[in-house]
Amino acid sequence: MSELGSMNKQMDWKKANVIVAGVDVGSVTTKVLILVEGQVYAWSQVRTIAPKESVFNAINEVRYQTGLELQNIQYVVATGRGSTQVTFAQRTMSEISCAVAGALRIWGSSVRTILDAGGDSCKVIHCTDKGRVTDFLWSDKCATGIGRSMETFADLVKKEVTEIGDIALQSDQFPKLSDFCVVYAQSEALDLIRSKVPLKQVIAAYHYAMAKRISTLVARSGVKKDFVIIGGLAKNPGIINWLESILKVSRLAPKPEVDPTLIAALGAALFADAFYRRQ
Amino acid sequence: MNNGKIVAGIDAGHLNTKAVLIKDGRILSYAKAPTACDVLAATQNVLNEALKNAGVSPDRLSGMYITGVFRNMVETRTLNVGGTVPEYIADAKGALFLDNKARTVIDIGGNVHMAISFDESGNVLDVIENDKCAEGLGIFYRNMAKVLGVTEEELSELALRATKRVSVAIQCRLSAESEAIDLMCQGVEIEDIADAIARFIADRVAAMCTYVALRKKVVVAGGLAKSQAVIKHLQNMIKEEVSVGDLPEYVGAIGAAVSYGGAK
Repeated sequence: MSELGSMNKQMDWKKANVIVAGVDVGSVTTKVLILVEGQVYAWSQVRTIAPKESVFNAINEVRYQTGLELQNIQYVVATGRGSTQVTFAQRTMSEISCAVAGALRIWGSSVRTILDAGGDSCKVIHCTDKGRVTDFLWSDKCATGIGRSMETFADLVKKEVTEIGDIALQSDQFPKLSDFCVVYAQSEALDLIRSKVPLKQVIAAYHYAMAKRISTLVARSGVKKDFVIIGGLAKNPGIINWLESILKVSRLAPKPEVDPTLIAALGAALFADAFYRRQ
Repeated sequence: MNNGKIVAGIDAGHLNTKAVLIKDGRILSYAKAPTACDVLAATQNVLNEALKNAGVSPDRLSGMYITGVFRNMVETRTLNVGGTVPEYIADAKGALFLDNKARTVIDIGGNVHMAISFDESGNVLDVIENDKCAEGLGIFYRNMAKVLGVTEEELSELALRATKRVSVAIQCRLSAESEAIDLMCQGVEIEDIADAIARFIADRVAAMCTYVALRKKVVVAGGLAKSQAVIKHLQNMIKEEVSVGDLPEYVGAIGAAVSYGGAK
C-alpha cells in the first residue's frame, strides 16, 4: 500500500454507474476519496501547500492508481478549510457535516460524540443516529494547531511524528507541563531538555499536556457513547491513551478499511453520492 | 602561522549550535549544526568542523568558551570548557567586536529574542527579553516556510515581492500560524502571506524594543537577521536604521570567545 494512496482492486469503475469524489482540503493534508457505487474505491492524501495545486496533486495520485479521469467523476463535494479552492467541486459542505456522515458510515449509527482532532483545530461534535448534528464545540484560540504542533515538536526532538506517540508511552513518570497554551508547553519542554530530563520523559510530558488540553475541550461539551476520534491525532497512541484515561471513556477502535484521517473526505463523498442520485 | 592564541567560541542555541575560532582578533573559521537533543554532540560537531575549516589541530586550541541557552548542558569535563558566558553579555561583546560603532544589538533567535544596549567597551547597560506569548519566532519562521513549501531564504524573497497587504494575528505564533494557513486556504498570493509572516515577526520584536532605549548604532543578530523582509519591516517599525553584519548567527559565539581574551 502506498503512503500516498490506495485502491480496491476488486472493483472496476469502468462498469460503474455512479462515481463520485469527496475532497477534504485540510490545513496540513489534502485528501481525496472516491466512491464507486457507494463503496470506497480509492483514496489519496498529499501535503497541503498551495491548496489549488495540492488538490490537483491528490487527484493526480488517484488518476495514477486507477486510471480515473476528472471527467469520469460525476459529482464532487469539497470540505475542509480550503474547500473553496476546489474549483471543480459542484458543492461544498462543512467539516462538521462531513465528519458526522463519514463517522456514522464507518462505526455505525450508535456514534454520539465525535472528536475531530486535525492539524489546526479540534472539534467536538454530538449527533443523533440519523446523523443530525445536535451540538458542536470548536477549539478556542490557545488550543489551536495542536495537531500541527506535534510535527514541530517532533522536529525539535529530532524524531518522526509517527513515532513520538509510541515513545510517549514508554514513561510512567514525567514532569508536568503547562497545559493551557501550546507555545508555553513547547517552550517548557525545551527547558526540560535543557535541565537534562530524559528525552522519553519530555516526550511523554508533552503528549500528556496536549491530551489534557484537548480533554478540557471535550469535557466542556460532554462525551456520550459511542465515542470516536478522527483526524491525524487519532493515530497518536500517546495522545489517545491519556485522553481516554483523563476523560474516563474509551473510543471505538479505528477501522482498518478507512484511515481516521479520511473520515471527512469519506463524508464529503457520501454527500456527493446522495446529491448525484437526487439529481 | 605564528604561535598566537586560538580561542573557540560556542553558542548552543535552541535550534542551532554555532562555533567560531578566533586568533589575534581575527575570525579563522565558523560552523553550525542543528542542536537537536544532543547539545554535547552538536558542540563537538561544530567545533570539529570549525577546526577543519581553519586547518587547525585541536591541540592548538588554547580555550573554549560557551554561551547560549544550553550552555550549562555542555559537560565541562569531557570537552574541556574554559568558561560560560550569559547570552546577553556574549551578544554585546560579539556585536561590538564585529562593528565598533554598535551600541545596541537585537537578537532574534529560534525561541527567544532580546535587545541589549551597551557602551563602547561592551559593558551591558540594559537588557530586555521577549514576553512569553511572543516566544518562538525562529521556530515560527521555519514552520511557515515548511507550510508554504519554500525555503527560509525564499520566504524572505517572496515577502519582498508582496503587492497586497494582509495580516496575521499580533499575539502568539500559534494563532499567527493558524491565520496564515487561513489566508493560504482562501487562495491569497504566497508573496502576500510571506510578507504578513515577516511583518508579524518584526511587529513582535518592535513591541519588545519599546521597553528599552535603543542606542545607535543598532545591529541585528540571530538566524532571523538573515531575512531581509523581517529587517525591512523592523526598520520601519522602530524608526531606526538597523544594520546586519556578515555573520549575524555567530554574534553570540564570537562574543563568547571575545569575552575570554579572544580579541587579543
